[in-house]
Amino acid sequence: MGDEVVRLDKVRRDYLVGDQITTALDSVDLVIERGEFVAIVGPSGSGKSTMMNLIGCLDRPSAGTVMIAGDATNSLTDNQLTSLRSKAIGFVFQQFQLLPNTTALENVMAPLLYQGISPKQAKKSATDMLVKLGLGERLNFDRNRLSGGQQQRVAIARALVTGPDIVLADEPTGALDSKTGAAVIDLLKELNKEGRTIILITHDLDIAASAPRRVFLRDGLIERDERGAA
Amino acid sequence: MRLLGTASLALNRIWATKIRSLLTMLGVVIGVAAIVALTSIVDGASQGINKSLATLGTNQLNVTSMFPDALSELDARALAELDEVSVMFVQSVNEGTIATGDTRVNARLVGVSSQYFEAVKPDIAIGSYLSSSSYAASAKDVVFGGDAAGDLGLTKDMLGKTVKLNGQDFRLVGILDDQVGFGTSGRVYVTLDAARKLFSQYPYVSSIVVQAKTPEQVDALQFSADALLRERYGLTAEAETRYTITNQANLIAAVGSITDTLGLLLTGIAAISLIVGGIGIMNIMLVSVRERTREIGVRRAIGAKQSNILTQFLIEAIVLSLAGGVIGLILGEIAAFALAIIGDWVFAIRLDTVMLALGFSLLVGVVFGVWPARTAAKLEPIDALRFE
Ligand SMILES: Nc1ncnc2c1ncn2[C@@H]1O[C@H](COP(=O)(O)OP(=O)(O)OP(=O)(O)O)[C@@H](O)[C@H]1O
Ligand SMILES: [Mg+2]
Repeated sequence: MGDEVVRLDKVRRDYLVGDQITTALDSVDLVIERGEFVAIVGPSGSGKSTMMNLIGCLDRPSAGTVMIAGDATNSLTDNQLTSLRSKAIGFVFQQFQLLPNTTALENVMAPLLYQGISPKQAKKSATDMLVKLGLGERLNFDRNRLSGGQQQRVAIARALVTGPDIVLADEPTGALDSKTGAAVIDLLKELNKEGRTIILITHDLDIAASAPRRVFLRDGLIERDERGAA
Repeated sequence: MRLLGTASLALNRIWATKIRSLLTMLGVVIGVAAIVALTSIVDGASQGINKSLATLGTNQLNVTSMFPDALSELDARALAELDEVSVMFVQSVNEGTIATGDTRVNARLVGVSSQYFEAVKPDIAIGSYLSSSSYAASAKDVVFGGDAAGDLGLTKDMLGKTVKLNGQDFRLVGILDDQVGFGTSGRVYVTLDAARKLFSQYPYVSSIVVQAKTPEQVDALQFSADALLRERYGLTAEAETRYTITNQANLIAAVGSITDTLGLLLTGIAAISLIVGGIGIMNIMLVSVRERTREIGVRRAIGAKQSNILTQFLIEAIVLSLAGGVIGLILGEIAAFALAIIGDWVFAIRLDTVMLALGFSLLVGVVFGVWPARTAAKLEPIDALRFE
């Protein structure tokens, strides 16, 4: 057994809306090891975001076990789940989701501050990370003064700054033109080369094809799990 | 995250939405401003009343009667003999006219015995009190009260000149600094002898004032004065309508209880207006939680605990309310200052008013901020992130 950062065992997630039960994930088994670059692919409604929420410690399974960086999430309290999330996961969202009325620097500092790190230390780490991603000139810009590609890079800096075990990116190119999107994917690949575990959620088969491992979801089930060049 | 960091998030947000924040505070601003201004009015008014009561002295008893011929100078002399009495004076008040040149107005012509000015010590604007030589010579000298002087438009250069009281010539020796305004008819003071020549009502007087040697003796004096007068007129306990003995201390206490009641009333109004202000804040905070559901979801995703979210929103509500309180306090004190100038009373910023205003606005922020803040903290991260 290698160094597993994600382990899903017979994971099911049901949503109850009114008296209607939707099974978004059904008995899913998945293991992701440290340093992997995995694309999770599937049509709309196939359960990708549901899987991301479970891996991201934002949600708990209805049945089965989710192990993140060695901890099972099922029995954790909200506070414990938050701590695990804060330590193990960095999120990159489709709509960037930078905080309002907040500069690039403050956005990247926020996860560190929530960890209880001193503002001085947080500022230093956040600045370093933004400089590394080529945003050294934009530290004090808020989201209204950043292009989409720049916002997504700020969001990636925010996801990376705590040194998480896993970077979870849900459709990170969905709101970008293809050129900027490709640059973001290149950045994620580069980060993967540095040893980061990247989980990329997409319904774009071209983007998925460039990933070394591809997990295909359909109707809440894993349809295929491919490795190597597509 | 440390509290300071969370506080700066809240301040950031308030600053980013300045206009809306100001409007949100408005209820608390108005509530606090109103209470500060009203408190100062009650204060000023009771200050004024107490001041005019205090000039009469707190250890004094005032014997008066509804009947013009019920109290005589002989009663006064007998009362002056009582052990507890240090000073006694009498007043004989009649309606009359005062005139100078072509101006003639109604006034109260007050005959006072020689100890009056000594005992009451009213502030004097120009000239002097009625002197002992005025009394010795039964001189037709007059001291004008401020209102009477105002009615006739008397000035400094009239001092020593002649004015007419009920058509008779009197010499103006002084003008008091005791203007009340409010259209009260003015008072002028002459010797008791001079008053008798004007009104021929010997030996009756309108009121007898006896002053106890110490404030502690006032009650004892009231008892013996009552007993003495009753004995002089052979009155039973029931038939005491002939005269009334008023205790200044009781009067001050009565005024005190009236202003206390007023204060209570104001507190009630303040409480209601602050509750209304608080509901305003709660309302906007709830709207704000809804609008910022996504933001809350993102914050939770990047590591905010429920308690971080709770604190952020609670501090925001408290800061809004407290800032409203501070603005209200400043506006209220400005209004109080203006009112003090108009009402001619002493303006003072009272520490207890300041503490009360700030304390209550803090409380309002906490009480009405808790629910929205809890709503925000209890949001499920996945629902918050999906929220459109
Ligand atoms: N919070 C929820 N409440 C109820 N049903 C939900 C909820 N979240 C997801 N679902 C349902 O679960 C199924 C899977 O949804 P999910 O969001 O995981 O799909 P997805 O693969 O991310 O789709 P997309 O590509 O459109 O984002 C869908 O049928 C969806 O309607
Ligand atoms: Mg999705």
